[in-house]
Amino acid sequence: MTCERMEELLSAYLEGELAAAERAEFEAHLAACPECAELVGLMRETMAAAASFPEVEPSPALYARLYAVPEEKRAKRRLVRPVFEWLARPALQPVYAALTAFIAVLTFVLFHPEGQGIRKKIDIGLHRGFGTVEKLYADAGSIKGEVGTLARNVVKSFDALGLSRANENNK
Amino acid sequence: MDLDAILRSCLEGSQQAWKALVDAYARRIFNMAYQFCGSREEAEDRTQEVFLKLHGALPKYDFGKNFTAWFLTLAKNHLIDEYRRTKWEKTQRDDFDERVLAHAAAGGPEESLVTKEAQALVWEGLNRLSADMRVVIILRDLQGKSYEELAEILTLPLGTVKSRVNRARIQLAKVLQEYRGELA
Repeated sequence: MTCERMEELLSAYLEGELAAAERAEFEAHLAACPECAELVGLMRETMAAAASFPEVEPSPALYARLYAVPEEKRAKRRLVRPVFEWLARPALQPVYAALTAFIAVLTFVLFHPEGQGIRKKIDIGLHRGFGTVEKLYADAGSIKGEVGTLARNVVKSFDALGLSRANENNK
Repeated sequence: MDLDAILRSCLEGSQQAWKALVDAYARRIFNMAYQFCGSREEAEDRTQEVFLKLHGALPKYDFGKNFTAWFLTLAKNHLIDEYRRTKWEKTQRDDFDERVLAHAAAGGPEESLVTKEAQALVWEGLNRLSADMRVVIILRDLQGKSYEELAEILTLPLGTVKSRVNRARIQLAKVLQEYRGELA
């Protein structure tokens, strides 16, 4: 018998579950192998120590905490229920429906292969929109300049007219 | 009142039945938790969590099954999950003489020929075992469960349970050997 096989049979040996022939073989190995004999002694001692281990008495405070478990659960439920009830109001159902539809569309656009075309169109649309806004802004700038010039010319014309009338009055 | 009647009353919300259930199992679960995590305070918290879980899981209990094995499976799973989540193995275990023996329940089997030194080394040695190995040693050798009960609690085949118990015992024996080597 090898030391590995002896290790496999250790518990069965100590619990008296080995057949007579195997037991004899096991004991013959023990007589010839001091390491295995030491291991058997240690395991016997460990098992005896564990079997006689003292049981510890839980504290009265722990018993009180355990008796209070159902009440603690009920208190938690009382705390959480109003939140659930508020969220489950019928008035919020259209909001949930709209959110669900929005998430479904967003998921399709972001993750579906055909959504790629839509994303491209959105990109192009945004790009065009941005370009248009820029153009409008530039046009608005030039119109503003032209209006300014026109306004100045008008003011100058009025000033000129005012002066000529003043000259006529003087004559 | 038999256990099934107690359980049915608990499901109906009877506080008296719940108290009876706590009285029947608190000591067993607390000792299992204490032996597993090594700290009295941790064990008290874990025991309370196990009973909270039991209260929530009770409506799912199948009355055709062995309640004790079902409950111990729930407790074992919770202890191992918490152990993996918080890594208690880094924390110190309570001093064996001051905290374990001092609170030992009366009428226990501690009056034996086995030395306190070996018990203290086993107590410390449990910390060096993995969660799975620790649980099998606690259930089989400290709490004296049969292999059949262990197979039911661990939901493993009998052969696997026997070989796991054997490996755990060898590991613990080697830890004992190491401790003695360090002390010598």
